[in-house]
Amino acid sequence: MALSRYLACLAALPLLVCPLIATTQAQTTDAQKTLIVAVPSDPANLEPGANKAEPIGSEIILNVFDTLVAWSAPDFSKLEGRLAKSWTVSPDGKEFNFQLREGVKFHDGTPFDAEAVKFSLERTKAINSYVQATFGLIRTVSIPSPTELKISLSEPYPAFLSILAQPQAAIVSPAAVKKFGDKFAVNPVGTGPFAFTSYRADTNVVLDANPNYFRGAPKLARVIYRVIPEASTRRLELENGGVDVIQQQGQLSAIPVEEMAAFKSNPRISIVEAPSQIIRQLEFNNNDPKSPVADIRVRKAIAHAIDYDGLLQGVFGGVAERVYGPLTTNSWAFDPKLRDAAPKYDPQLAKKLLAEAGIASGKLNFKLYSFQGPLWGAVATFIQANLADVGVNATIEQTEFPAYRALQTAGKFDIALDGRQPWYNDPDAHITIGYLSGLADTAMTFRMPKDDALDALILKGQQTVDPDERKKLYSDIQEKIVARVPAAYLFSPKLIVFMRANVKGLVINSAPPLNEYWSVYKN
Amino acid sequence: MISFLLRRLISLVPVLCLVLVIVFSLVRFIPGDPAVTLLGPGATDQQIAALRDQLRLDQPLAIQFVDYVAGLLHGDLGASLKTGQPVLHELLIRLPATLELSIFATLMAVIVGVPIGVLSATRPNSLFDHITRLVSLIGVSMPAFLLALILQLVFATYLGWLPVSGRLSPYIIGSPITGFTLVDGLLARDAAAFRSAVEHLLLPMTVLAAFLAATLGRFVRNTMLEVMAEDYIRTARAKGLSRSSVVLQHGLRNSLLPAVTVVGLKFAEMLGGAILTETIFAWPGVGRFMFEAIKNRDYPVIQGATLVFALLFVTTSVVVDLLYGVLDPRIRRKMS
Repeated sequence: MALSRYLACLAALPLLVCPLIATTQAQTTDAQKTLIVAVPSDPANLEPGANKAEPIGSEIILNVFDTLVAWSAPDFSKLEGRLAKSWTVSPDGKEFNFQLREGVKFHDGTPFDAEAVKFSLERTKAINSYVQATFGLIRTVSIPSPTELKISLSEPYPAFLSILAQPQAAIVSPAAVKKFGDKFAVNPVGTGPFAFTSYRADTNVVLDANPNYFRGAPKLARVIYRVIPEASTRRLELENGGVDVIQQQGQLSAIPVEEMAAFKSNPRISIVEAPSQIIRQLEFNNNDPKSPVADIRVRKAIAHAIDYDGLLQGVFGGVAERVYGPLTTNSWAFDPKLRDAAPKYDPQLAKKLLAEAGIASGKLNFKLYSFQGPLWGAVATFIQANLADVGVNATIEQTEFPAYRALQTAGKFDIALDGRQPWYNDPDAHITIGYLSGLADTAMTFRMPKDDALDALILKGQQTVDPDERKKLYSDIQEKIVARVPAAYLFSPKLIVFMRANVKGLVINSAPPLNEYWSVYKN
Repeated sequence: MISFLLRRLISLVPVLCLVLVIVFSLVRFIPGDPAVTLLGPGATDQQIAALRDQLRLDQPLAIQFVDYVAGLLHGDLGASLKTGQPVLHELLIRLPATLELSIFATLMAVIVGVPIGVLSATRPNSLFDHITRLVSLIGVSMPAFLLALILQLVFATYLGWLPVSGRLSPYIIGSPITGFTLVDGLLARDAAAFRSAVEHLLLPMTVLAAFLAATLGRFVRNTMLEVMAEDYIRTARAKGLSRSSVVLQHGLRNSLLPAVTVVGLKFAEMLGGAILTETIFAWPGVGRFMFEAIKNRDYPVIQGATLVFALLFVTTSVVVDLLYGVLDPRIRRKMS
């Protein structure tokens, strides 16, 4: 065989597959009725009983299962009944009576009743350590009749209804739990608008419409969650129509601001924005008397050194909002007085406060801890420059989450960029966990020093039943917290969803920041 | 041959033991507590302590190691901390994706790289030689993520010929038979599935193959040039053999021996090192799985995956040794 012929044969090998490509038929699945959602990682768990507020798994749970109550669109400030038709709360805030919906069936055909609710709530309470603080309050769940349910708490907790809207409180099919046992996490069965069809590791989760859904069948026939870890790949897929929806799930895997600008000029892509209740702050170690930030003048100086508007415009280009205190402005308990009380950008005042604290310019050195990722890096660099302007040196240390968490719990830091994402729509979600001094040495709190008066006030706010009285208490709490300068409150990122322009009917919830696809359609 | 193989396999045992010890100790030096990672931001100290106890993380290292080795002897690599599933199972469901990608990338690299090397060597310093040397220089030095992005932009966005990422069109829903999408498409006699599998494979395969093809091209060219200067080539020419049989049967065959080593080692490397390519193309393989495991401090997965990679690596080196025997009769005689 001649050399050239041999080489020609070798070169032709790849071409052999081409006729196969050319002769096969096009796909017939109805793309018009299928919604493809890009997510950055595998859902950790599709099991309400084990859910730890991981965003992807939680969203899938809220589309496959129903809860007793849910926040009503579009402003998510009021709860509406889902599997519960109506409810009453006793004056002491400890007894909850629910009237349940009739004629609802789980995806496996078994009927929904009070027994299933009792089973689900008690199951989560028993196996989910993550919600110990709230589900642990449940003393008894009793069922006077198949359509009635009574929950008694060991102490008053007005935010409990809000907890019942969480993915951990989703109602599971007892028959399916019995059937699948440990495998229920990969065979979830609920009453929701979509039924679980399949899961392939690192690839996708497929949900199909539940035609018998009690609120009416969804307009989509199928929802596919595609796992795409790389942000640039998600962007290309959206631009090419390979996916219909991209979510900004957390800051760590978010699409950079400059890429969002590219989406804005693309007519085939629409952007949905909503304010969130997420807070990002420059946190002080409030529980270390040896730290330079133990002096309130130093804390105030740092709070005045930061150019808040510059940060919002320069780093976020308008996709974040200012935060003035421990609650976001869209929380029902936010006190507008805080807008004026919040520290303003004033480098001269910062320098003066540092001098009063006896610190000469250039003598204060900090390690500035921050999460990983380009966005956090940009925020850290901005803060570093602000601090340098008032004579404070900061070295940026970007740390992975597990290591970060260890530093936090041990209190081995002076200043750190941090954040809290509340998973239920109540001020309790930010205040109690963040500022109760009894929790100072647990993870991700503001490490407040022992303060019995403030603790008592926080617990009173948590347990007061009357909404007006509660709001007043939280105003007082916000004022007292801000006076202690536990952090420089920086910004609240907006929740952003990018989607193909033909996707309609999506509404975004602020807490928890999860999408429901029941109302979504394509045109 | 059999006794050679046995001796070779026995010599692997200490290597694998050493890998085991190193991996076990290394993952424990990564800062950060797996119990903390697993429970997430809302957990209390008591919950973390309970989980540490359950995972036996509070035991002395020596005891953890003995536990682990005892499990290994029963074929148990432990359970993933994130999913709770057995590590072996988690690895096996992702292995076909990585194997499929690596095997086709290696094939493509050989099919493209070797002929280019041969042609360059037979026409040294020709225009063709200069061009291929330049192209292979680019191929060797181009970072994988950049090449991936360029290919995605050209073939997916501008031309619209190929999909951006994934392994199969999301509209094709079927349960895997072997886990190899091409084979599954054929077995299911599903033309659309097979076509989709081929389309999804082309870009990541090219990215992974580019480096190896360029390396091979340069390597084969250089060894060919050396071989073509040998006495036996002159003898073969003097005997009046045709140019093609001189080049292919005497020249190429003797140049391939070192190339086999390169291909073998690179193939083994691809199995563990395709992390970037797998991530960019959303390819659900072991490389990406291991990367996620490192982020999550999923010790059992990191240990298990490293052990499996080490095993694949040494297996490949044994296969390369055996191929030597096939290609060179002198080595074959020494083996027996």
